[in-house]
Amino acid sequence: MPFPWLSASILFPIGSALLIPFVPDKGDGKQVRWFALGVALVTFLITVGGYLNGYDPSVEGLQLAQHIDWLPQLGLAWSVGADGLSMPLILLTSFITALAALAAWPVSFKPKLFYFLLLAMDGGQIAVFAVQDMLLFFLAWELELIPVYLLLAIWGGKKRQYAATKFILYTAGSSLFILLAGLAMAFYGDSISFEYTALMAKDFSAQFQLLCYAGLLIAFGVKLPIVPLHTWLPDAHGEATAPVHMLLAGILLKMGGYALLRFNVQLLPAAHAQFAPLLVVLGVVNIIYAALTSFAQRNLKRKIAYSSISHMGFVLIGIGSFSALGTSGAMLQMISHGLIGASLFFLVGATYDRTHTLQLDEMGGVGQKMRKMFALWTVCSLASLALPGMSGFVSELMVFVGFVTSEVYTLSFRVVMAVLAAVGVILTPIYLLSMLREIFFGKENAELASHSNLVDAEPREIYVISCLLVPIIGIGLYPRIMTDSYRASIEALVRRETSAMALVIPTPASGLIRQASVQAPSLTG
Amino acid sequence: MPSAAELAWLIPVLPLAGACLVGLGLISFNRTVNRLRKPVAVLLISSVGAAAVLSYAVLAQQLAGAGTTEVLFNWASAGSFNLQMGFRVDALAAVMLALVTTIALLVMVYSDGYMAHDKGYVRFFTYLALFSSSMLGLVISPNLLEIYVFWELVGMCSYLLVGFWYDRDGAANAAQKAFVVNRVGDFGLLLGILGLFWATGSFGFEEIGARLQEAVAGGSLSSGVAVLLCLLVFMGPMAKSAQFPLHVWLPDAMEGPTPISALIHAATMVAAGVFLVARLQPVYEPFAAVQLTIAVVGTITLFLGASIALTQMDLKKGLAYSTVSQLGYMMLAMGCGAPVAGMFHLVTHAFFKAMLFLGSGSVIHAMEEVVGHEPVLAQDMRLMGGLRKHMPITSATFLVGCVAIAGIPPLAGFWSKDEILGQAFNTYPLLWVMGFVTAGMTAFYMFRLYFLTFEGEFRGNDQAMAAQLLAAAGKGAGDHDEEAGHGHHADHPHESGWQMAAPLAVLAVPSVLIGLLGTPWNSRFAGLLDPHEAAEMAEHFSWGEFLPLAGASVAISSAGIALAVAAYALKRVDLGRAVAARFPAVNAFLANKWYLDDLNDKLFVQGSRKLARSVLEVDSKVVDGVVNLTGLMTLGSGEGLKYFETGRAQFYALIVFGGVIALVVLFGSLG
Repeated sequence: MPFPWLSASILFPIGSALLIPFVPDKGDGKQVRWFALGVALVTFLITVGGYLNGYDPSVEGLQLAQHIDWLPQLGLAWSVGADGLSMPLILLTSFITALAALAAWPVSFKPKLFYFLLLAMDGGQIAVFAVQDMLLFFLAWELELIPVYLLLAIWGGKKRQYAATKFILYTAGSSLFILLAGLAMAFYGDSISFEYTALMAKDFSAQFQLLCYAGLLIAFGVKLPIVPLHTWLPDAHGEATAPVHMLLAGILLKMGGYALLRFNVQLLPAAHAQFAPLLVVLGVVNIIYAALTSFAQRNLKRKIAYSSISHMGFVLIGIGSFSALGTSGAMLQMISHGLIGASLFFLVGATYDRTHTLQLDEMGGVGQKMRKMFALWTVCSLASLALPGMSGFVSELMVFVGFVTSEVYTLSFRVVMAVLAAVGVILTPIYLLSMLREIFFGKENAELASHSNLVDAEPREIYVISCLLVPIIGIGLYPRIMTDSYRASIEALVRRETSAMALVIPTPASGLIRQASVQAPSLTG
Repeated sequence: MPSAAELAWLIPVLPLAGACLVGLGLISFNRTVNRLRKPVAVLLISSVGAAAVLSYAVLAQQLAGAGTTEVLFNWASAGSFNLQMGFRVDALAAVMLALVTTIALLVMVYSDGYMAHDKGYVRFFTYLALFSSSMLGLVISPNLLEIYVFWELVGMCSYLLVGFWYDRDGAANAAQKAFVVNRVGDFGLLLGILGLFWATGSFGFEEIGARLQEAVAGGSLSSGVAVLLCLLVFMGPMAKSAQFPLHVWLPDAMEGPTPISALIHAATMVAAGVFLVARLQPVYEPFAAVQLTIAVVGTITLFLGASIALTQMDLKKGLAYSTVSQLGYMMLAMGCGAPVAGMFHLVTHAFFKAMLFLGSGSVIHAMEEVVGHEPVLAQDMRLMGGLRKHMPITSATFLVGCVAIAGIPPLAGFWSKDEILGQAFNTYPLLWVMGFVTAGMTAFYMFRLYFLTFEGEFRGNDQAMAAQLLAAAGKGAGDHDEEAGHGHHADHPHESGWQMAAPLAVLAVPSVLIGLLGTPWNSRFAGLLDPHEAAEMAEHFSWGEFLPLAGASVAISSAGIALAVAAYALKRVDLGRAVAARFPAVNAFLANKWYLDDLNDKLFVQGSRKLARSVLEVDSKVVDGVVNLTGLMTLGSGEGLKYFETGRAQFYALIVFGGVIALVVLFGSLG
């Protein structure tokens, strides 16, 4: 039997977290943080090991698979595996968590509990991406909420209780839809099974697909988030501490995008063919709406939080694009935002540690004393506004080109959506550069300088950002290092959705948006 | 051994490697690296120098008749799509490579003197190398997509360098404005590139041109759409090359250090738009409407720039508007279907405008010794005058630049500008009239700058005027004295050191001579870029046609110079009373830069802020309001909230989790 890489990467951090109470520590977190960092690093190495030893990027199907019957009477099985949709996100998760452990260095309040939750979350999030069983997925999805809730409620800012409650009500409430849709799909037809592969083989009726799709869209739309289901995010992000922030932006939002691809597109292709134009429209709304709210925000954390929502709009357009290039771009945008969002939120935390305020009006001229911090902020902001040479540009470009050349939409729909999405190209630098100007440029704010200790970035902080910048720039220079790792799976997925599209008879409403005939073969290669 | 063209990828990579090395050093060992001024400067200058040597080797090969070299690799791919990147060396690229490396090298040497006392010396050189790298990458890009990549990167470098003195509010605003206005252009460029890719399935210049024409001829694409796509792409060059109405960022960008104004905002980056239009000639040529639009935009720009330059009192801003105007001439040439003429003006202008800017930098540097480090004072010509006695090299080279730009033969500007006017005369006579009149204005405002700066009496010690200027700029005299208190070293300015004087002298040579490469009867420049056209030009050349047009241009330029002499050297004519007082509306219109900045501020800046604020209002009041209301209603009287207030949130979460598990088990057992 080959080494169970995925099971190990899920169980190792959770198992190690259970050992945390036995780690000798004086209560200031100085020992336990080394333990947590070590465990997170080993987890990262396990996922990398799995990628190198058991994963072949050119294969489209499930790899590193492992299946153990767990509770046969419930139909529950421990079934894990990875394909192109999940493998990059598994790597991203373990990578960002390791960096978050390093980012959590200054945490001194209840450090044992903090690191316990961090590691539990690591395993839980890898499980979300790795499991191949609907019931298991639901469990992992719910399990991972609790650490986030506690991390928000205990270590958050002033309004942490409100934010944490809002978060848990939103996500737990919406995940009810996952459970309902999952059960419905499992019990549909003659056989009962929760396995993705078995569900894929089932021939759901079109009406049934539409119902399930709508339910799942709400559940995952909260997570991604899709406007108007987003209002938990600015509160949760606004109150979280830096390391939690990195996890929220870096990984949690990607669960929504991943699940959309995995369930809505892969399992319910006929419904996806109906819903896809809506996804594109929602994506454009996300981009513009959140860019505007971000511009108006005066609180730094909330500003970046809204910018995350804006960037997720491209994921939606890519998923709805019906082209291999666009879908591949959506996938890359998730990875790219995972890295860039994490870096920006880390910098917000690092800046707050020095200024003790997040209000832009109370900052200004900070660049005089914090030059290295200024440089890091500039690089990460430029990455976020999709400067070429960095990953954000490639993913947005792929989404744009994929959507514009997609044959399934009418020309006018494509033109209107592309033009509106491109407005985001103008809005993004406006709010990001204004933010930089208000924090760093200009004369030093005397009041701020008098009561805060504006020391420059320390080596640990530079190291964290550098670790994030290496893949950001690497992907930006040569995107195939990332896209080739999931190319086969995305192409198979797009083939599946396109062939389903060919079967759907356009209803009058969608006929306005969609072209009558679809040449499926021209999209695949 | 590989040929120089095959090694052309090294040209942008060398400065990039240097910049990365120093940049990493700055981040990791800030203090140490900041102290290594000379080694860093030597390293980066030699990396650009090596790129220059290689560029000249490439140019020599092209002169010897080498063909086009193109190397491509698959950069991104999905499905049947392959996005390719690589590099392409042809005559156009070779000319730009040589031009950019030459000016970058001279500007770097100059900066060693200009930035000698600045604490950001090392950072400045790093940015310079980074910019050179991006600009060189742009000129050897083989397709539109890669052009877009480097297009953004040069924009980023411009942002960083305009905002170099980030403690100044003016610089902070100007940097952001430059980036955002350029993004407006890039919005069109991106959509245009996407549209052209949709229409033709290619990013390559020739393929797009051929297939677009085919599609229009075959009827699968209406010509209106094709024109629209071409014009969308043209929005990019409009922003980058400061064409009306997207020129507003360029004058503000003068907040950056003067070497940057010379390199980026006069010689190279702003010319990138013209270069791109030249690259896109195979796409634009078949569409008369596109050509006409480009020509009209160019003409409006050239007139607008020159008219505003007439009243500027800030030396650098005067030169900046002059650049806007000259870029308009280049665009006009492109619109006339004469890319060779436009490119020729780009080259000659790069040399003499870089020299003029570096000269103004030398003046400002010298003025700072007298009035202190306050741009409002050091750049205002009302405090200058009589500098020729103190700064012989600067004044001589500045005069050469003025004569060159005014279009007096045999200096460079004459040949290239006359070529453009000749083309315009044959294609759009009405636009020629505008170009012709503007030529006279150009001569006038350039000599006005020269006389106000270098002739007459030195006015730098006029404290009343200084106080007045500070007050007008909204800065109290108090702040100024505090800062400049230690700056009053001298009563009169001194000539700059050799690092600054030598590049001026070197640039004077091409400013005088390079025009001779483009004489209409034997244009070596055209021979390199387009041998076919050069032969045609030489064949059709007749003195009978050339002399009247050239004579007219020289005459109007001379008239402009004569007016400037009469008004500012001999003081026979008081223009202030004769014109400004009599037509206050015109004067105010020009002094307020055609009110375009105010319009932009009211319409776009305030408008977008207002819109954003109201969206946020909706977000927090309506969208979130509904959520909170629902939450409150479900929680009833708020009993539930008590739990959270008492810190027993974990308990609640456990209940939720337990409930979920129970639900799962329930459903499971039912199944």
